[in-house]
Amino acid sequence: MNAIAIILCIVCQLLIVAGQIMLKHAMTSTTAAGISARRLRNFAMAIGCLTLWFFLWLGLMQRWDLSKLYPFEGLNPAMMALGAWLVLREKLPAKAWIGLLVVCFGIALVARS
Amino acid sequence: MSDAKTRNGALQLFLNSYSQIALGAVMVTASEILMKAGANTVAVAAGAPHGGSATGWLGIAALSSGYTWLGIGFYILSFLSWIYVLRSVPLGIAYALINVVHVLIPVGSWIFLPETISPMRWCGIGLVIVGLLLLVGPVAKVEARL
Repeated sequence: MNAIAIILCIVCQLLIVAGQIMLKHAMTSTTAAGISARRLRNFAMAIGCLTLWFFLWLGLMQRWDLSKLYPFEGLNPAMMALGAWLVLREKLPAKAWIGLLVVCFGIALVARS
Repeated sequence: MSDAKTRNGALQLFLNSYSQIALGAVMVTASEILMKAGANTVAVAAGAPHGGSATGWLGIAALSSGYTWLGIGFYILSFLSWIYVLRSVPLGIAYALINVVHVLIPVGSWIFLPETISPMRWCGIGLVIVGLLLLVGPVAKVEARL
């Protein structure tokens, strides 16, 4: 795999994180109930991110073996927790981070075999 | 009376966000396995040419199988379940727990599809389980504070 493919794999993971964060925003807008313009905009942006991810991932799979691409999925849980921490100010206890890292290694191991 | 109470209890359990995470994980697994079963009905050899058409690399042919449509149905249901979960559960926690699909999908493909799991892969699955078990305690503590 070349550098561009590796960068695109990481962009894929970032798109998933961004999409999920916007989805979370859309579902927990400060206006407790009902459909607001803000809620709809967040939802649309989330769907946009996830759609972009889907086609980027499909394009990568056209060019590279899944066994090369899939290990990047191992980054996913850690990046999501990091995103939730930085953007949504959600705090996870230290022990939960250790658990997450073990999950990441597990996924990478599943992906490599 | 007690019948109504049981029904009410079952509904409460169904509407619980953490039950929905578990249900969602099972639905994602069912969806992936059904879509793979659908794709298998029109399988081509790995690395086979795309027949020259521009859309040859898309899996459109698999739409001829009922399994694929059932898989799509489960996928939509799992998405609805997920956005329901996000209303109340912090994203970091929900996403950490939904990692259980990395256990369910390989084991499901082993049971329901003609696929095998290498020893190395079993080790990876084991690590995911250990990580999830490490997560459950702290997550319950965070939840108690909310």
